[in-house]
Amino acid sequence: MSLKRINKELSDLGRDPPSQCSAGPVGDDLYHWQASIMGPPDSPYAGGVFFLTIHFPTDYPFKPPKIQFQTKIYHPNINSNGNICLDILKDQWSPALTISKVLLSICSLLTDANPDDPLVPEIAHVYKTDRPKYEATAREWTKKFAI
Amino acid sequence: MTDITITIKTAGDKKHQATISTSATVGALKEQLAKDLDIPVERQRLIYSGKVLKDGDTIESYNIKDGHALHLVKGAAKPGSSATTSTANATENDSTSAAGRSSTPPSNVPSNIASGQSSFDPLAGLTSARYAGYNVPMPTLEQMGLNADGMQMPDENQIEQMMENPLFQEGMRSMLSDPQMLDYMIQQSPQLRAMGPMAREMFQSEYFRNMMTNPQALRSMMQFQRMMNQGPGAEGAGAQGSFPAPGNADSGATTTTTTTPATTTATPSTATNPSTPANASTALPPNPFSALFGNPAAANTAAGQSGNTASTGAGATPAPNPFANPNLWNMLGAMSGGTNASQPAPAPVDNRPPEEVYQSQLRQLNDMGFFDFDRNVRALRRSGGSVEGAIDELLNGAV
Repeated sequence: MSLKRINKELSDLGRDPPSQCSAGPVGDDLYHWQASIMGPPDSPYAGGVFFLTIHFPTDYPFKPPKIQFQTKIYHPNINSNGNICLDILKDQWSPALTISKVLLSICSLLTDANPDDPLVPEIAHVYKTDRPKYEATAREWTKKFAI
Repeated sequence: MTDITITIKTAGDKKHQATISTSATVGALKEQLAKDLDIPVERQRLIYSGKVLKDGDTIESYNIKDGHALHLVKGAAKPGSSATTSTANATENDSTSAAGRSSTPPSNVPSNIASGQSSFDPLAGLTSARYAGYNVPMPTLEQMGLNADGMQMPDENQIEQMMENPLFQEGMRSMLSDPQMLDYMIQQSPQLRAMGPMAREMFQSEYFRNMMTNPQALRSMMQFQRMMNQGPGAEGAGAQGSFPAPGNADSGATTTTTTTPATTTATPSTATNPSTPANASTALPPNPFSALFGNPAAANTAAGQSGNTASTGAGATPAPNPFANPNLWNMLGAMSGGTNASQPAPAPVDNRPPEEVYQSQLRQLNDMGFFDFDRNVRALRRSGGSVEGAIDELLNGAV
């Protein structure tokens, strides 16, 4: 079941990937993928390429995939381990979602952070109180780690 | 050896078609692109399948097929950036630079995946401030049947609507997880108070939760309740005394998870129709009445046996005390016959076409790649509208 679905998503992604993201299996194990997200142009992450790992549970798509950033990123909803605080990866997961849609959601999270439900409160605080400083730091990290 | 045509997607959603032999190297492709797109080779980063392509590898080795799309990112041509080897220097170093980019060493990755990603404790944080701003439409105590006099239940459609509201479910769950709230509920209801510590135990018991997560069980309990209340006075009181818990539980403890609302989206008749139990294994054992209630014919037969006149719709004259009657099932049947007769609309037969009844479920199945309409409908019928159950049926080849 899960393999069939993962294969379908893979072939869809190969043919017509979203413009900002790309994903595919690391090796022969179809349950272990890697993905890359290009920093959205209208965000301080512009120009950066961020790598992520994706682990599919065996009962995918009934359970959400586990997605982590491999590239360091300065963002209120992504911590230093690369964990992402995103509702659709947790309680709001739906089997109708696909990796492509999830990656797009992460893209939009990069453009519009959610400082009210932060994973890194310090960054969220900076984001809320001193936006230029947040953007400068994010840009600097992007330059350092993702370009 | 064959030539394939691939799409190169660049920043700003621009697309470029390129034809290249599968045995060519990535380096060769980049040179071709450098001419076409006027981007120096050393500034090109080609990404496919989440990987940065290395110059020395062939197109073939990445399994790139005809018609597939690659991403091209313009790298910064900044010479000599220390930790992260810029692609400008040597693209052979891409793998090392990729490794350099990731701050977490690979060995850390597996251990961290579980942490923070999945919420193993579904109740944690539900009472947090996160939900403070939500206008959770909690029913009033009166609506919930917790008022002292008479456990007036809202009708099942109302309950159903409430139960389908995710905010309501969220609220319910958080409420049940809060011991103080439980205390409060128990204190509010004389029946529960009379039960003493048992009430609390009941709220926490597995069986109870199961019962609560099953819309069918709820429905028939409510029907039963209402039926009892319809009877003249004394008997109604008896019924309440005997069935305090389910009544309160109906509203008070709808720990309904979102996994079983399948049938509730259908009309009431499908839910009470015994041929479509959402979850036969759990629904039927604790809930033997559903068949009787849902099936007027059976009820009428039963009524005949007990010598009641229910079959003519005169069930308004129920037996004095249903529980004194040894032939309880027959009695229940008779009463349900009476109830049905006295109700203006006794659960109409659902004549809607399956694509309408199972609209949302069919869409989900389609999204998952099950396109055979007839099989999907058969599977959904067997599973009583549960998508997960239907998938099991489809995969087992049972339909």
